[in-house]
Amino acid sequence: MLRETKGYKVVTEWLAQKGFQPFLFQEETWQHILDRKSGLVNAPTGCGKTFSVFLGAIIKYINEHPGDKHPPKQGLKLLWITPLRALAKDIGRAMEEVIGELQLNWKIGIRNGDTPLAERERQKRQMPEVLIITPESLHLLIAQKGHENIFRSLQIIAVDEWHELLGSKRGVQVELAISRIAGSLQSIVNSSEPIVDSQASRPTTNDSGLSIWGISATIGNLDEAKQVLMSPLKNEGVIVRSNMDKRIDIESIFPDEIEKYPWAGHLGIKLAGKLIPVIQQSRTTLIFINTRGMSETWYQTLLNICPDLAGSIALHHGSIDMELRTWVEENLHSGKLKAVVCTASLDLGVDFRPVETVVQVGSPKGVARFLQRAGRSGHSPDAISKIYFLPTHSLELAEAAALKKAISQKIIESRPPMLLCYDVLIQYLNTLAVSDGFLPGQIFKEIKDTYCYKHISKDEWEQLLHFISAGGKALTQYDDYKKTEIEDGVYKIKSRRLAMRHRLHIGTIVSEAMMKVRFLQGGYVGVIEEWFISRLQPGDVFTLAGRNLEFIMIKDLTAYVRKSNSKKSIVPSWQGGRMPLSANLGRVLRETLDRKSETRRGKTGISEEEIELQVLEPLFELQEKLSHVPKRNELLIEHIETDDGFHLFVYPFEGRLVHEAMAAILAWRISRIRPITFSFAMNDYGFELLSDQPIPVDDTNVYELFSPDNLLADIQRSVNSTEMARRKFRDVAVIGGLIFQGYPGEQKKARHLQASASLLFNVFSEYEPDNLLLRQAYQEVFDQQMEEARLRDMLERIQRSEIIITFPQRLTPFCFPVKVDSMREDLSSEKLEDRVRRMQQQLER
Amino acid sequence: MSMYVSHMIGTQHLIMSAERTLFWENESTLIVADLHVGKTGHFRKEGIGVPQQIFKDDLHRLLSQILFFKAERLIIVGDLTHSVENKEMGLFRRWRKDFPSLYVHLVKGNHDILDDKWYRETEITVNAGQYLEKSFLFIHDILEPGLKATKGQYIFSGHLHPGISIRGRGRQALHFPCFYFANNHCVLPAFSRFTGTYQVDPKENEKAFAIIEKEIVLM
Repeated sequence: MLRETKGYKVVTEWLAQKGFQPFLFQEETWQHILDRKSGLVNAPTGCGKTFSVFLGAIIKYINEHPGDKHPPKQGLKLLWITPLRALAKDIGRAMEEVIGELQLNWKIGIRNGDTPLAERERQKRQMPEVLIITPESLHLLIAQKGHENIFRSLQIIAVDEWHELLGSKRGVQVELAISRIAGSLQSIVNSSEPIVDSQASRPTTNDSGLSIWGISATIGNLDEAKQVLMSPLKNEGVIVRSNMDKRIDIESIFPDEIEKYPWAGHLGIKLAGKLIPVIQQSRTTLIFINTRGMSETWYQTLLNICPDLAGSIALHHGSIDMELRTWVEENLHSGKLKAVVCTASLDLGVDFRPVETVVQVGSPKGVARFLQRAGRSGHSPDAISKIYFLPTHSLELAEAAALKKAISQKIIESRPPMLLCYDVLIQYLNTLAVSDGFLPGQIFKEIKDTYCYKHISKDEWEQLLHFISAGGKALTQYDDYKKTEIEDGVYKIKSRRLAMRHRLHIGTIVSEAMMKVRFLQGGYVGVIEEWFISRLQPGDVFTLAGRNLEFIMIKDLTAYVRKSNSKKSIVPSWQGGRMPLSANLGRVLRETLDRKSETRRGKTGISEEEIELQVLEPLFELQEKLSHVPKRNELLIEHIETDDGFHLFVYPFEGRLVHEAMAAILAWRISRIRPITFSFAMNDYGFELLSDQPIPVDDTNVYELFSPDNLLADIQRSVNSTEMARRKFRDVAVIGGLIFQGYPGEQKKARHLQASASLLFNVFSEYEPDNLLLRQAYQEVFDQQMEEARLRDMLERIQRSEIIITFPQRLTPFCFPVKVDSMREDLSSEKLEDRVRRMQQQLER
Repeated sequence: MSMYVSHMIGTQHLIMSAERTLFWENESTLIVADLHVGKTGHFRKEGIGVPQQIFKDDLHRLLSQILFFKAERLIIVGDLTHSVENKEMGLFRRWRKDFPSLYVHLVKGNHDILDDKWYRETEITVNAGQYLEKSFLFIHDILEPGLKATKGQYIFSGHLHPGISIRGRGRQALHFPCFYFANNHCVLPAFSRFTGTYQVDPKENEKAFAIIEKEIVLM
């Protein structure tokens, strides 16, 4: 049917002129779009996923308007939601090219924070047929009076890079926006129906003709990803898979000699010299570093080793001035840069065609992230993505083997969608209140149709309404609370000042408390976390954006600096950004180690792909000699006594967050056997308990100590969840509108409205402990900080596995990196390096 | 550790209370700083739904401190109110009128921006910059430029909302409000519980008394 349509002919002819022919998955999507279906397109980047949906919309349009090349202005037809502003320009350009060459009378509009006011005004008068928009700007659009009119003619909503949005609060924003658009279109359908239509015959599915199309890379829960998008339409939707596998070539960079006592952080830099030929041999190389602090160090090191790179190497991370970042991105595009040292800041974004090679330094922590980064190179459907893995300690080489295995078996992480985010809902309700106001009954029905809020109770809803309209508990007679007012049942924000302030705060990305860094003579360097600056004394030298800077003073919320030639400088350690090892990668890693242990017993041979394991052989041999290399169904526990005291090392390979919680729970459970105090340390592979007396863990009680029974109660007793929730509360409070992040012009006026998140947390904990935002902060701690579900899964797995307890005479290769991490807190980096070297020498004797 | 701790300055007897007040026994005077009356109301007027109960509790605490010490006079070293007038200040005025015999004296702070008329009608005696009585000098901000304390004078001030932290393992720290006694001045903790703290770092010959729940603890 598709192939007989006029639109199909026009589009395929146009493609043929360019020497292309449609991929199967594109045609499949086009057919579904003609059939007014909704669904999810699963295709890797650079494989024409944009065209699968966009050309579908064009074909549909041509079919509906045959013979008419210049119909009058149609209003908005296609809404294209994208997570990144930078992507909007690129996609817009590609779309305009199609429109131009097909001589369609369509306009492509972009709307985001960068869109000039005049352009926005133009859009308001006449919406373009296609609007490319970020989730934040979409909510701003909904905050406009008469927003329902904008969507009257809308046929398709496309959500690009849905895997990036799903799992975050921005994804929830998308869900809410879709529920509103679907709701408003449905109400138009309903109102035009004859009145005889009674409640009973009201259709249960949305029949407004709206299609929703998600576009996603492969993730573990594609089906759920689809369900989340389709939820407001109440239909199933289809999944279209491209079945185009991008070929990925992974190569590890090996140290000349394998350290049998690995420790994190220093090996990487030592291998920097081996990167120079890689950089020189390819056109452009992206070097991904896990933390902003380390990226600064790497940038300096590469320049020191190879001064020739000066001018053709750049640094890119989230704390660098936007203008400088844009400059880097533009020069990546034009191929003027040979290499860019970057962090997750370049995970997403426009395709940089000149990029031929990607280097991952240190563990990528997850399969999906590694794949995504690999995909940044070789950007055409049939090109090979080349990625080098450079370990920061030798044991990480086992992770490289695990990654290869996970990729070949397509074991990719899920992105679980967030549920019941009250903060985002409060923001959304206020957004509706500044537009035309809302009727609670109607909006409650709409949000109940979303995946995020389908389990919200009537009680919670009433509490939210009360919070925005009455401000929670009050002394009625002496209260001035003002935000959302109720007029004839409609919730509205009438104060222009409050409305404007709300518009300026729409969004769910909350930044750390940051301070601008400027040169005394003028010129902006970037931003840095307040707490880091607060520890500096004037005269101290630190590194930012690849420059050594001398700190002079703080004035007007800005840190002033001057250039410094000092050789010594402090590299800031930015908070956050330390992702734990994903559950999938952890599992494959356990399996990889297991394979290794069987091979050594001569059962199977090692394949060429697992060269990393061969290289690591000396380390495994020592581990086996001193202790044990665990199999997939084993949990290894080591008791080691050193001058520091009695250590207990446990290796679940579940990532540092789970290990942190587990260490606390285990310590609590042991202390009930006998009064004993511990200190903890952990990394992604395992954790350590250290005490000044022997730790009573043996075969008689070990299964009990790792039991999933009473987990929740034990968490509450052992982990300081209040402190964790206090930290989470900041984000929740900002999104929920309790804290104003300053913005230009109003900073001074808003000064009397400043209260720290910590203070608000105290006040609510004491006076309104059932406040929904407070509850949400605790829930987020359980779900994300402690990964409670994963913790439980781990304990259940351990119950089914064999626990091996060993008593090595000295530190083992497995425990060494954990041990070094625990010393990091007390020692400066130079002293640490000295001490570690001495320990290594002693142990290897 | 206890809820009240004595402190002598010369011949004058002072009593610190864990309710964030300082009682000057020789003169039956209660000294407090930074009440920030109307702060919750100010937030609420701007659409931030902070529980108002905390303000009501502040007033209850102040009342019970006045009764406990049988204070005849209240000296506020600045920031009685938080911002422009709002309904909460009406409650404060009613509260104040219930004690006609109590003499209330305010040394203005940077937040005290109401019209003179309001103070007059609330029966509060106001000093703009500083107030000297015997050898005690009352001001709002110890760092106020142009401040001159002559030798032998001892200063009581507020503004800073001093706090002190106790560091624990793993980069964790707990923060508590405190009384801060230096050689020739004292900074009082902010009375209102809807205030944050600014970390002070006492030097060798200085003393900080942390307020931990209902106890005063010398650090």
